[in-house]
Amino acid sequence: MYCVKCGVKLQEGAESCPLCHTPVWNPEGKTEERTYPDNMPPYHSDRDAAGALAMTVLCLIAELVILTVCLKLYGELSWGGYAIFGILLFYIVVVLPRWFRAPRAEIFVPVDHAAAALYLLYVCVKTGGHWFMSFAFPVILIGCLIATAMICLLKYVRNGKAFIFGGFLLLLGGFSMLIEFFEHITFGTEMFLWSPYSLTVFGLCGLALLIAGAIPSLRRELRKRFFF
Amino acid sequence: MKQELSSGNKHKKWYRLDTAALIFPAIARLDWCNAFRVSATLDEEVDPYVLQHAVDDMRGRFPSFFVTLHKGFFWCYLEESSRKVEVQQDYSYPLTFMSSRELKTNCLRVLYYKDRIAAEFFHSLSDGRGGSVFLCNLVARYLELKKDISIPKGGIIRDLGEAPPKQELEDSFLKNAAEVAAGRSEARSYHLHGRKEQDGFKHLTTGIVDTQALLDKSHEIGVSVTAFLAGVMAKSIMDMQDLEKPKKRQRPVKITIPVDLRRLYGSDTLRNFSLVLNLGADPRYGDYTVEQLCRVIWHQLGATATPQNMAGLIAANVQPQQMTALRLAPSFIKHIAMDMVYRNSGESGGSLNISNLSSVDLPEEMARHVKRMEFIIGPQRSYPNNCSVLSYGGKTYINMIRNIRGSELERRFFSRLVEMGIAVEIESNRRLT
Repeated sequence: MYCVKCGVKLQEGAESCPLCHTPVWNPEGKTEERTYPDNMPPYHSDRDAAGALAMTVLCLIAELVILTVCLKLYGELSWGGYAIFGILLFYIVVVLPRWFRAPRAEIFVPVDHAAAALYLLYVCVKTGGHWFMSFAFPVILIGCLIATAMICLLKYVRNGKAFIFGGFLLLLGGFSMLIEFFEHITFGTEMFLWSPYSLTVFGLCGLALLIAGAIPSLRRELRKRFFF
Repeated sequence: MKQELSSGNKHKKWYRLDTAALIFPAIARLDWCNAFRVSATLDEEVDPYVLQHAVDDMRGRFPSFFVTLHKGFFWCYLEESSRKVEVQQDYSYPLTFMSSRELKTNCLRVLYYKDRIAAEFFHSLSDGRGGSVFLCNLVARYLELKKDISIPKGGIIRDLGEAPPKQELEDSFLKNAAEVAAGRSEARSYHLHGRKEQDGFKHLTTGIVDTQALLDKSHEIGVSVTAFLAGVMAKSIMDMQDLEKPKKRQRPVKITIPVDLRRLYGSDTLRNFSLVLNLGADPRYGDYTVEQLCRVIWHQLGATATPQNMAGLIAANVQPQQMTALRLAPSFIKHIAMDMVYRNSGESGGSLNISNLSSVDLPEEMARHVKRMEFIIGPQRSYPNNCSVLSYGGKTYINMIRNIRGSELERRFFSRLVEMGIAVEIESNRRLT
């Protein structure tokens, strides 16, 4: 019995070619003798379940202790709210990904930003501030968009790392200006106090990377000198 | 090799890792470690009780295989295992993951399925040649017990009643290193990629070809079988790279070929004593035919696998571990350093590994009960496909393993052999789900 496409001889009773998956005509209905049994080994997971479990228990204990102390002493959450939601934020950012075999950064980064935004919203409401919508939310949203875009590009685009990092640095420069702008409209601070410096540094580094990406010989030289 | 012999029963023997073995604990991951398998298919179904008895009988003659891996403060070491190596039924794919917990119990597995006996080794124990010696002796002992026959000792078959000679346990790297180390730097090679199997399943495709046909074709081109297979493989990989990116952005395609140093230096060690060479061509400079690639690899192999050059490469491995400053560093720091070196100059230089154990010759009394022998190496850490070759009984078994879904490389490689006039019979462990 041969594969009509690859020309290789197949095992008697093979349903398809293992190489090109072309179906095999098997008029006698023979069954293929299996070279390996069907039993899969015990599923091995490379996720750090034990570590995640231990940290979950520790976080729960900390939450319970803070809750008990606050309720006992003040009869309300008081400062405990910051600690409890802070621990929850820590759990989402640090511990939650450990439960997954291959945590996907493009999912967890937006989730982490959302958790941070909610925590800041709580702090803002609790302190009676008016800075969340005009400062914290836009800053976190833009930061989240830039970080997620960077992760996706690095993950799914195989080449052009210099362009990706260069573009990222330019965006960071622009982002720093936006932060100062939101700071200005929220807190009334002076504009262009520090962001031009970061814009200059990020911008120059970003431009250098873009130029290096466009010139192969320069790219090779940089890779040679800065490999790790 | 330094070894601490037991003065009483309560002291277990322990062994330093040989020079090549040092790297394997350092580069192991939570879901990957470097292991290989050698198997023999018999003329009748395997009796697990007799097999267990045979395994137990091997311990005295091959003590360096019945060990556990431990981490010392400065170096990892192997210690005589107090637990039996329990024979177990094979799984749906070879070389299932050996966890660090398992390595603390045993670094060796003995498996059976129908008429096949397989031994899987963590690479710190031995290399393919040492593993094949162990398996052949295990099968010989099994046949003696099962069929009540006597298999003559000599050659690959050892007398289990004898104590292991010192030269079988030595680190042969140490005494064959040159005074000056050869350079390690190599350009990064093209690596295949694909969608990884999430549950660790490894696809194994075995191509069975007539050894004489393979030899004839290799000699027609004027190269060895290893160079021929490496040339065909390099061409298949180059064709795949052509589909992926334009010529000027391509990377060199190099086949990693382990060289058995025992032949070069006359060593009898059963520990690791092989080094790899990355041989191939850079497609950016122009297209190669299969024949050209075979000859390029053959000449590169001839030029580099000389005792002098290999001694330089051995020195590159030996010298760092003899530096006092490095020796005094705690093992976890050494592991970080070794991992970095491996990432930058270990696997990066090759596109795929072809490990040819060449032919295994068994005594006639044994050979009549052994239908087939195979050698399988696991996928590397940074590339998904690997290939291993063993010839036995007039047939050559080419095992291609991968931990990704696509079978394009296997299709191109075996189809090309067919196009070149070599009949190929294909078997696979295709997954049911």
